[in-house]
Amino acid sequence: MDFTLSIQQKQVRRMARQFAKTELADIAKEIDEEGRFPWEVVEKMGPLNFFGMQAPRKYGGAELDTISYCLVIEEISRVCAAMGLTVAVHNSVVVYPLSRFGSDEQKAKFLPSLASGEKIGAFCLTEPNAGSDAMAIESTAISEGDSYIVNANKIFVTNGGVADTLIIFASVNPRDVKKGFSALLVERGTPGFEIGLLENNCGVRANPVSSIVLTDCRIPKTNLLGREGEGFKIAMAALDTGRIGIAAQAVGIGQAALDASLKYAKERIQFRLPIARQQAIQMMLADMGTMVEAARLLTLQAAHIRDQQGDLSGPSAMAKLFAARTASKVASMGVQIHGGYGYSKDYPIERYFRDARVTEIYEGTNEIQQIVIARELLKRGED
Amino acid sequence: MNIIVCIKQVVAGDQVKIDPLTHTLVRSAENSVINPFDLFALNMAGHLKKLYSSSITAVTMGPKISEEVLWEALAMGADRAILLSDPRFATSDTLATSYVLGMGIRKIGQFDLILCGMRTTDSDTAQVGPQLAEELDIPHVTNVEKLERKKNLFLVERLSDGYREILEVSAPALFTISPKAATRFPSLIEIQDAHARHSIESWGLEEIEADPTKVGRAGSHTWVEELIPITREKFCDFIQGDPKQQAKSLFSKLFEKNLLS
Ligand SMILES: Cc1cc2nc3c(=O)[nH]c(=O)nc-3n(C[C@H](O)[C@H](O)[C@H](O)COP(=O)(O)OP(=O)(O)OC[C@H]3O[C@@H](n4cnc5c(N)ncnc54)[C@H](O)[C@@H]3O)c2cc1C
Ligand SMILES: Cc1cc2nc3c(=O)[nH]c(=O)nc-3n(C[C@H](O)[C@H](O)[C@H](O)COP(=O)(O)OP(=O)(O)OC[C@H]3O[C@@H](n4cnc5c(N)ncnc54)[C@H](O)[C@@H]3O)c2cc1C
Repeated sequence: MDFTLSIQQKQVRRMARQFAKTELADIAKEIDEEGRFPWEVVEKMGPLNFFGMQAPRKYGGAELDTISYCLVIEEISRVCAAMGLTVAVHNSVVVYPLSRFGSDEQKAKFLPSLASGEKIGAFCLTEPNAGSDAMAIESTAISEGDSYIVNANKIFVTNGGVADTLIIFASVNPRDVKKGFSALLVERGTPGFEIGLLENNCGVRANPVSSIVLTDCRIPKTNLLGREGEGFKIAMAALDTGRIGIAAQAVGIGQAALDASLKYAKERIQFRLPIARQQAIQMMLADMGTMVEAARLLTLQAAHIRDQQGDLSGPSAMAKLFAARTASKVASMGVQIHGGYGYSKDYPIERYFRDARVTEIYEGTNEIQQIVIARELLKRGED
Repeated sequence: MNIIVCIKQVVAGDQVKIDPLTHTLVRSAENSVINPFDLFALNMAGHLKKLYSSSITAVTMGPKISEEVLWEALAMGADRAILLSDPRFATSDTLATSYVLGMGIRKIGQFDLILCGMRTTDSDTAQVGPQLAEELDIPHVTNVEKLERKKNLFLVERLSDGYREILEVSAPALFTISPKAATRFPSLIEIQDAHARHSIESWGLEEIEADPTKVGRAGSHTWVEELIPITREKFCDFIQGDPKQQAKSLFSKLFEKNLLS
């Protein structure tokens, strides 16, 4: 067992770290406050292949291994979790399922502009009455000649406000949602396509999370991803991969909270000593460091298993559950170390605290990860 | 055109630690990065490669871990990367460093252009470029912002004391590139390709036929006798009174300290 990153993986991490420091560090606070999507940065990320990290070369992707992919997401999220989310969702639950399940024609049509970052992707599963229970979706895609007529009301769509290419889940068979569960490639601007209101979220505010409404939208059958009825399988495969990216995002936020707390603890003087000299503070810092490192290892292990084409559901759910809880816990401890200043917008720790919280919710809540993990554990045979 | 770029691995800005016994920087794989000033030289080389079909060779002198900076160069468009590494090169001063680089470059053979960074973020002497040019007996210009090839000449532009100097220099020549020139990040594809297509050549003392008395401590004419850390103390002085009195007392304080001329 070798825990060292390769020279190449370290080089990828260095580049992402440098990029985030140079391009995102100075604006992260402002775009959070304004809820602004930083196009000027996105335009620079495209040519560096941040939007096609694992896509095939043929379509302009970089074919990175999943460990490198996680290192990039961690470094971006460490500086700006909202952009970490943009990139993670685009790569893992849009570009990846398209690369894996798309036909050659679909890949040729949609992948190059996604991989170059010219177009932004979104993944639309959640609906008002279908969150954890994805099978409860009410969106429909009714066959009519060589098209589907799609009616859908999707909410909480990451990148929704700016996305050009969206994977939308709907049923081609309203009487049997399970049998008809399908994935469709939808382009913004198709008649009947509407971007709803932007969510006024607690964290990851620079990401334009919105609702997406499709009203009698005519989608050619050539845009069906996989076959009719394969949508649930595609969604779950995408989420198994996506969760590793969210785990990496959570590790990045946790690391940022730890970095900020270490700095503050050395600077803040009370009782004539830096608070870092108090054992109570040291114990918090020790726990924070340990948890972040454990979350990182679990995340990179899941990434490694993916690279080895191993069974992913359990490991990625474990990584996501643990990393998300860690980010929340560590950011909360970070606020504590900062005292009253931690509750003020003058320090970044409050942003980490808000950003961390949602990693316990999206791409499956903690409770859903527990269900997945328990199912995997219980089905294992005895040794 | 054959371009050689000299790059150095430095200790990352916020992680400089000095060994109290040897007075040298404590280096590790984790705290080392490419000298940020060298990125401008690498980018300039890449730019020239696009304009005049060229090949780029990146060279560094350093321990085995300095290999990492050569990978940066390969991702930024270098076609070949050479590590000059030998235990006998350790503790070289700038003169010995320039000699080793010169001998390495002689072994590489024919070249038209050598590019260096302006200075480094750790030792920061800005001497290696000019010394290397002297070692190879070629002309050099420092702090170059723009660079063009004109037949057998280079047309370069540098900033000096409020003037833009335009100079013609005969090839082969050495230039140190200004941090005002452009730089960029290598893309993920470029990083992947560098590792898929290239490897790093490593040459020691014998390979470059260097004189052992001119390298390392033996070849260094300067050495660090002592390092005294500078501690900066800050005081905060609240000036009392109404705004008029405050301004007056601030003025006299600054005047006393000779901070107003
Ligand atoms: C910022 C943000 C971005 C998002 N981006 C996307 C996106 O891009 N695409 C997308 O499709 N969705 C997205 N979502 C939606 C997200 O995936 C859902 O919010 C999540 O799956 C939970 O669904 P819900 O909100 O309906 O909660 P519910 O499912 O109503 O859950 C409420 C609570 O009940 C618990 N619960 C539910 N069922 C069970 C059970 N069987 N056992 C135990 N506990 C249970 C949950 O864990 C939770 O604690 C995003 C959400 C947010 C906040
Ligand atoms: C008086 C003195 C004593 C020193 N003693 C020691 C010592 O005992 N031990 C020790 O480890 N260091 C020592 N050093 C540091 C060492 O000499 C320098 O690190 C090295 O010579 C490069 O100098 P610099 O960093 O100032 O480069 P600069 O001259 O500032 O660099 C300019 C450019 O030269 C090129 N360049 C510089 N160094 C290299 C290189 N190694 N490979 C390829 N290109 C390069 C780069 O393009 C760089 O941008 C000493 C330095 C001085 C001034």
